[in-house]
Amino acid sequence: MLLELNNIFKWVNQGGKRIFLLSDINLKIDEGEFISIMGPSGSGKSTLLNVIGMLDGFQEGEYNFMGESVHTMKEKNRSKLYKEYIGFVFQAYHLIDELTVYENIETPLLYKDINSSERKALVADMLDRFNIVGKKDLFPSQLSGGQQQLVGVARALITKPKLILADEPTGNLNSKQSEEIMQLFKELNQEGVTIIQATHSETNAAYGSRVLHLLDGRRDFN
Amino acid sequence: MIRNYFKIAWRNIWKNKLFSFINIISLAIGLSASFVIGLMVYYDFTFDKFHKDGDLIYRITTVYTSPEEVDYNYGVSVPLIAEVKQNLTGIQQSTAFFTAEPSRIMNASFSKAYNTPEKVIYADSDFFKFLSYEWLAGNSESAIDGPNKVVLTERRAKKYFPNRDYSDILGEILIYDDSVSTTVTGIVANFKERTDFTFEEIISLDTGKQSYMQDQITDENWNSTSSMTQLFIKLNDKKALSNVQNQLDVLAKKNESEKAVKYNEYRSFYLQPLKDLHFGKDIGIFDFTEYNADKSILTNLLFIAAFLLLLGCINFINLNTAQATQRAKEIGIRKTLGSSKQQLVFQFLWETFMLTLVAAVLSLGLAAVLLKIFADFIPEGLHFGLFADPLIIGFGVVLILIISLLSGFYPAMILSSFKPVSVLKNRIISTHSNVSIRKGLIVFQFIIAQVFVISTIVVGRQIHFMMSKDMGFKTEAITYVKTPWMDGSLQKRQLFMQKLAAIPQIESLSLGGMPPASNTIHASGVIYLDGKKEIQTDLQLLYGDDNYLNLYDIKLLAGRNLLNDTIQEYVINDTYRKLLGFKTPQDAINKIVGQGENAIPIVGVMEDFNQYSVKSKIEPMALIGDWSRKRYSQFNTIHMQLNKNSSDNWPKDIANIEVVWNSIYPESDFKIEFIDKTIAKFYDKETSMTKLLNWATGLSVLISCLGLFGLVIYTTERRVKEIGVRKILGASLTQLNVLLCKDFLVLIGIAFVIAAPLAWYGLHNWLQDYAYKTNLSWWIFALSGLGIILLSLIIMSVKTISAANENPVKSLRTE
Repeated sequence: MLLELNNIFKWVNQGGKRIFLLSDINLKIDEGEFISIMGPSGSGKSTLLNVIGMLDGFQEGEYNFMGESVHTMKEKNRSKLYKEYIGFVFQAYHLIDELTVYENIETPLLYKDINSSERKALVADMLDRFNIVGKKDLFPSQLSGGQQQLVGVARALITKPKLILADEPTGNLNSKQSEEIMQLFKELNQEGVTIIQATHSETNAAYGSRVLHLLDGRRDFN
Repeated sequence: MIRNYFKIAWRNIWKNKLFSFINIISLAIGLSASFVIGLMVYYDFTFDKFHKDGDLIYRITTVYTSPEEVDYNYGVSVPLIAEVKQNLTGIQQSTAFFTAEPSRIMNASFSKAYNTPEKVIYADSDFFKFLSYEWLAGNSESAIDGPNKVVLTERRAKKYFPNRDYSDILGEILIYDDSVSTTVTGIVANFKERTDFTFEEIISLDTGKQSYMQDQITDENWNSTSSMTQLFIKLNDKKALSNVQNQLDVLAKKNESEKAVKYNEYRSFYLQPLKDLHFGKDIGIFDFTEYNADKSILTNLLFIAAFLLLLGCINFINLNTAQATQRAKEIGIRKTLGSSKQQLVFQFLWETFMLTLVAAVLSLGLAAVLLKIFADFIPEGLHFGLFADPLIIGFGVVLILIISLLSGFYPAMILSSFKPVSVLKNRIISTHSNVSIRKGLIVFQFIIAQVFVISTIVVGRQIHFMMSKDMGFKTEAITYVKTPWMDGSLQKRQLFMQKLAAIPQIESLSLGGMPPASNTIHASGVIYLDGKKEIQTDLQLLYGDDNYLNLYDIKLLAGRNLLNDTIQEYVINDTYRKLLGFKTPQDAINKIVGQGENAIPIVGVMEDFNQYSVKSKIEPMALIGDWSRKRYSQFNTIHMQLNKNSSDNWPKDIANIEVVWNSIYPESDFKIEFIDKTIAKFYDKETSMTKLLNWATGLSVLISCLGLFGLVIYTTERRVKEIGVRKILGASLTQLNVLLCKDFLVLIGIAFVIAAPLAWYGLHNWLQDYAYKTNLSWWIFALSGLGIILLSLIIMSVKTISAANENPVKSLRTE
């Protein structure tokens, strides 16, 4: 089992009232799964992904990731953990504008203290695999949305994560680009990478092995 | 990793060109000021550090304490030398020398002459044991152990005997002032390191004893002290200091004058450590040292540099925290990609460091410019090349690191603390603490700028006030020329006068001593008995013939002018009249000052005038004739009134005067001075201070305004949407401008409210040093406050007007 959420509650206080963003979420995910989280806007998809990705905390409940209890961990160890095992793909790509394609893909490796020659080899592999060798010296603003997301995925993959969290990865793309990205996710999943994506689209959700429905911060089993 | 930081730092600097420009310029200004000022401090603190046992070397100086004041003299009375040499315990060495100002030096055949050789001393035979020179010819043992010997420095030897071997020069004869004959017995290298011991010609003391210097060198009087008489000692060890001081105190007590008890005036000997020599302050260095380092000026300069640097840092902090939201996305991404907070802090500090480095390179260029601008303020030996000194380089590196930390740390902490989730969801609300710190910093910046502006106005006014204040005598179109000191012939002077009288442009002539106001003071203690008590005063003496008062347009309040040049009579000034207790000037006439053969009648009372800069009070003074003419004539200066309506012709007139001069004094250099120029020179220090202050003010205002400009651009751009909405709702251009400028104007207003009393307090204290001072009127404060507000309004309007003019459709569509 890769991760397990038990009775997760997350809320914010607004005007003296507690507004629940997540309530009583229970979830078990095994390695190799491809899960799609669906639900209308504001249902808590992104929040759940952020909690799983350890970017965001929660008030109540337990979270175990690869046998370690995340909820009792210190910030520093938590970031070590996600640095090691999790890759992120965002709807708005979130590439660093001031870095070239090559440098964007390389950045996670810098934070893992991987030496220069190994970095070169890894990045070159990744450029090769995604067919973007010719674009390696371009800046994000010089790429189309689909190409940017391709770089985003490449960057998420470069550290060989066990889990990829994708928050509406195709939300800003046209249908053809969407299909390419989803196809890519499918291939990755077949190679053994666990993927959790949040999505609005039924078509995209269909790529997954399991679909999770959220409504107002709760699992919706209907 | 560093490479990556380097790249992104560079791209960020490049991307925000305007902000980077503001940051770099602000820091570069502060840095260049610090470099130059650091250089000055370093320069002044590294004088005479190379002498063996330098920390044991002391100069004996004289301090006079009287109820009114404390006076200093860096010389001692001559008999002390023998006492120190024979009886003082606790010292391992001592040397005495007399600084001299010969008028001319010639070679043996009188075929070649140099006028006024500088830095000449008569030194005892211990001199070369005391200071270790490198000998290029001759040796320290026998070089000045007897009469008629002189040691030259390398530089002087090359001047007098160009292209000759040093050993070859030994034995050459040099004659000082046509009478003192010396043989060159040694040549030493000039000290390579910075030093105030810049003597070039060292004549043996025994030579002096047989020359016209004899009176001076063999003076037996314990109560006459000349600044020419220099006495240095080297202690056995540090502990001996108090012992030596005690012995000197005993000597001072034993040889005190009769006046001491009666007038409560005491003399003591002060041991001045070598390290303090360069900072003469109250004491001074040597008679011929022009440049006097001043610790208080250096401290003020350090403050200016620190303020300018601080202003630059503040710009950096303000612009970077304001811009933080733009960097937020990158920070969020980096955090999700695995960056730790420390790594981000390091990245931003690195970026700051690079920016500072660029600023530092630029500031080197600026420093060169500053050195040029302040050339008259900066000692000659201080040049750009000193930047290559390892210590200065080290200082520069440390400074750059400190500045990087100072300006980068806070923004780095702010930026790196962004939470990735909120960043990536565009949910950054700039926190309130952030904004208030920024506001606080702006207020601080403008306090400094405002204080500088007010100070500049007040100091400028004070100096203008002093320079334009009526001295009490005529200063227009009057020049004077001093006849050669060596040529005592009164006939020649009178001949000179006669020939000058033939030049029609010279309207009036007078023979006398110094002009009414000068740097030189002749004074003697005078006692007046008014029947009940004694009035003892230092009376300044002014020498002049019967046309002197007339030429300088000094009016007589009572009595008459001097009858002739040699009659013993006083024409006193009104200050002295009041001091003596006479109700009206008329009452003073025919009263006798002094007793016995020094009893002299007051024949006239002249109106008061300033004898020096208006910084000092008017002192008791008397105009007298040339009483000591038989021995030594005090009438050595010729004063001339030129036609004041034809100032265009003055150069021609002066040329004519020079022709006359050359016919009478062919061997001496002609030097003529205008009295108004002489007076302006009294204010040299103030003038250079104004210049410095003007620059400091200009730069601080510039940096503050640049920072303001950057912030206005930033905040305005963030509010384009609001501006658009308001415009659609019907806001006018003025209303929009007020809206955009209001926040900043409030801050500048607060800064003024804090700055005004600060400036008032500081300037009030500063003005206390001046006998005649300008008023600290309210309008100066009001004007400078309004000036700053107006300036910042203009700067802000550059951006806000264009923002307010923009078509709202455009700004709203892009959102």
